[in-house]
Amino acid sequence: MKSLRYSLATLALIGTTHAAVAADNLEIIVPFAAGGATDIVARSFEPTFSQQLGVTSVVRNVAGASATVGTAEVANSEGNPNIIGYEPAGALTIQPSLKKLPYGPDSFTYICRTVSNPMFLMVSKASDITSFKQLVEESRDQPFLYGSSGPGTLPHLAMAATVVNSDLKAEHIPYSGSGPAMNALAGNEIQIMADTETILENYDLRPLAVFADHRVEGYDDVPTVEELGLPALDFAVWQGVVAPKGISDERARQYAEACKATVESDKFQSFADKAKAGIAYLGPDDFKAFVQKRFEANKQVLKDAGLAP
Amino acid sequence: MDVILAAVGDAFTWQALLAIVIGTWAGIIIGGLPGLGSVVGLTIFLPFTFGMDVITSMALLIGVYCGSVYGGSITAILINTPGTPQSAATVFDGYPMTQQGRVDEALGWATFASFFGGVLSCVLLIFCAPQLAKFAVNFGSIEVFALVCLAMLCIVGISRGSLLKGLVCGMMGFFFSMVGSDPITGADRFTFGTYALSSGLDLIPVVVGAFALSEVFVRFSARDEEATTIPEARLRFPSLREIGRRLVELLRGSFIGSFVGALPGTGAAAAAFISYAAAQKLSPRRANLGKGEPDGIIASESSNNAVTGSAFIPTLALGIPGDVVTAMMMGAMVIHGITPGVRLMADQAQTVYTLFVVLIIVNVAMLILSKPSIGLFRYLFKLPLGFVMGGIVMFSFIGAVSVRGNPLDLVVAALTGILAYVLRRSGYPLAPLVIGMVLGPALESSLRRGLLISRGDFLSFFTHSGIATTLFVLIGLFLIWTIVGGVIEWRAKVIRTRREASSAQPASEQGIMHDHH
Amino acid sequence: MFASLIHPRVLTALALLLAGSGLSVTAWQGPASAMLVPRIVLTIWCAMALAVLIGELIRRVPVKNVTLTPLPLLMAVVLIAAIATASLGFLLPALPLVALTLWLFRIRRPLPLVLGTIVIGGGLWFLFHHVLMIRLPALLTNGVI
Repeated sequence: MKSLRYSLATLALIGTTHAAVAADNLEIIVPFAAGGATDIVARSFEPTFSQQLGVTSVVRNVAGASATVGTAEVANSEGNPNIIGYEPAGALTIQPSLKKLPYGPDSFTYICRTVSNPMFLMVSKASDITSFKQLVEESRDQPFLYGSSGPGTLPHLAMAATVVNSDLKAEHIPYSGSGPAMNALAGNEIQIMADTETILENYDLRPLAVFADHRVEGYDDVPTVEELGLPALDFAVWQGVVAPKGISDERARQYAEACKATVESDKFQSFADKAKAGIAYLGPDDFKAFVQKRFEANKQVLKDAGLAP
Repeated sequence: MDVILAAVGDAFTWQALLAIVIGTWAGIIIGGLPGLGSVVGLTIFLPFTFGMDVITSMALLIGVYCGSVYGGSITAILINTPGTPQSAATVFDGYPMTQQGRVDEALGWATFASFFGGVLSCVLLIFCAPQLAKFAVNFGSIEVFALVCLAMLCIVGISRGSLLKGLVCGMMGFFFSMVGSDPITGADRFTFGTYALSSGLDLIPVVVGAFALSEVFVRFSARDEEATTIPEARLRFPSLREIGRRLVELLRGSFIGSFVGALPGTGAAAAAFISYAAAQKLSPRRANLGKGEPDGIIASESSNNAVTGSAFIPTLALGIPGDVVTAMMMGAMVIHGITPGVRLMADQAQTVYTLFVVLIIVNVAMLILSKPSIGLFRYLFKLPLGFVMGGIVMFSFIGAVSVRGNPLDLVVAALTGILAYVLRRSGYPLAPLVIGMVLGPALESSLRRGLLISRGDFLSFFTHSGIATTLFVLIGLFLIWTIVGGVIEWRAKVIRTRREASSAQPASEQGIMHDHH
Repeated sequence: MFASLIHPRVLTALALLLAGSGLSVTAWQGPASAMLVPRIVLTIWCAMALAVLIGELIRRVPVKNVTLTPLPLLMAVVLIAAIATASLGFLLPALPLVALTLWLFRIRRPLPLVLGTIVIGGGLWFLFHHVLMIRLPALLTNGVI
């Protein structure tokens, strides 16, 4: 009992000293639960970033509704210089076209893009399909089923765009995440999935095409979708930092500089290497233009596939 | 063999052992506090693991996870409030035992069953992870649908005496889980145009309201009565003879838990309900279930702790997290450069075996730490009732608001608390509400996915695969069994009332009749 | 007949039936694929609630003596504190909530009441918000309170 009391006292002491320096406190909103793929990158990003800014920062997980709740929280904090969001692609460029949200692509001050991984179209290694052409041929007799990590997610959009723009016959079965979808692929409930290199490597799948404008290093024999005769489809899983609107230019510049330095730091790069996250820095203006472009492109895909008006 | 020895060496470092002790103890306490559960516990400890090596950080997290699943049973038994949703099924028999003054026995069985389930699932994990993982792959959407239907039937069993009310509550819980985005089309349902509702209702705030807050309200109405004082928490482990007598129950619970845990997307709460439903049909003492029978505690606690081990099977063998908690663990592994997936066993066998050893040590640590943890709760519950209730309200609030970081969840918890109080006063059982909410999403999405796969043909579900057919036959048998049993019971009741009306019987004989019933 | 209608059990069953029917209307108006399962669930809900209502009307459990208790007050305060947290942060609504809970549970001597409020309300908030870094809703934009 005594030891417990001592440790409680120590805890309280640590707490007080902490509160004393916490006056300049930065909140980093992660719109997913702790421990998820985005959260992990954010938590590795956070220490160096706050060190660069010279503030104490806390990661706050605000999960729910395809990451839009946390994103909305950032958008609603207009003018607050102590909050930023570590955002995934879907919440910024897909969800606003799908449903009525309290934010749109114009509701943020864009800071930087940190990582980006191109997506692959892949099938199980147990299947005898080795090329996209063969996949299209075989789908004529019996349409295939493709999985996704949920309706309106990037894997869903990438495949929906492929089906619309090619002769491939395939229908969508959504799962509650990449993991369950992989289980279904292993059990041959679905046959096709679009996802990143991490998934491809972890589950030992066969890539048939890559959704990028050039072939990807390490996968030199995997053609891009454009080479296969489809329009140039660009789908990548990326993450970036946004701040609310209405913060001072000075603060925005500080964020941007800190972000650049963090992404270039050895610590973050060695982490990215381990977690197979492809570093792909974009500065404030480029990032803003990029989000706008992706937003328009995804909107078109959603319209073509009949998923949004 | 060398790999296993090296793994044992890795697990028995002082850092890892310290992490296990701290993690397990903190886990038991966090699990025991109503409102705080596995997810909050892991969120607290996740940032600490960044500076540690792989084994130490995994030891800490596994300790917190296993400890919290066990800890939930302590408050379930003591104050009728499961500390975590995973222990919701422990309340059925745990609290009646407390009311009968058998706290020590109830806590003893809960502790031992948790330990037994945890260790058995570790053993299974070591020897047949690849086989189990391969078998789990055969569970597609249609098979999962059949399994969840079977589990849903336990609503019938636990709402004895008020089946209709149990079904209303079950459907209410099912409905709660449907608010928000549709899992298949993504369309908003029952949000009535408000953005705040589009993220849906989370399980934790509803459980916090239904059990913790409503318990505060119920105890408030009776705050001046002697009966509301919380009995002193004591622990008495069952003797070897008693364990031998109930060994079958322990084994059944552990195997059900191990198996359900190996299926992706189910989790410990579902396993506990399925196991409890099985005990209701198969336990030799099933007539007493729900009235303070240790078999009920065994069914619930051995299975939910067996999930902690076997949930790692899909995670480690296939890289597919079994539930939210294992998803967080997977994240922690990625930070340290271990990527779970099909090649993990081949590439990093030593790390994997070390994790198995750590799991076993954690379960042993849980057994040892149960006594001081229960001691702490005894100390806390000795405080005047007001402080205990104030603390429960605060922990409920913290747990509800921190699970997703959404203040709306607090309002959900408060409203559920008031609703649950009204329902309890009118004789509605609340457990079906939790069952509906836990199993509802799995039932709905597997049904809808199954319909997409079979192109709208529901009848083909029955012949989809051998596993599916077997499960549907089991459901049929269960229904027939329940209906026939109900009819027999009803006839016995009719005959008895007729006899009572025609002749005055000695009171003692009537008592015996009731016992049979 | 009317007297038996205002029995609390009957009212509860009636309220459940009305809630279920109201939601059913929404479910039948929505898209067929997304509302398939809700329609089934709500139909069972309504059928069961109707059966329960009939059962309660037939059985008529005697009404217990209704005494005036401050329980609705406790419920109201819990609900108000929950709603206020979104705009006032966690700490400010939590303190009066804990104080009132202690008061209603008969802890009325000033010292235990004040100490209890500070330790249970403020202490737990401080532990989670500042020590364990589990951020609870905050009043100020820099998150200190």
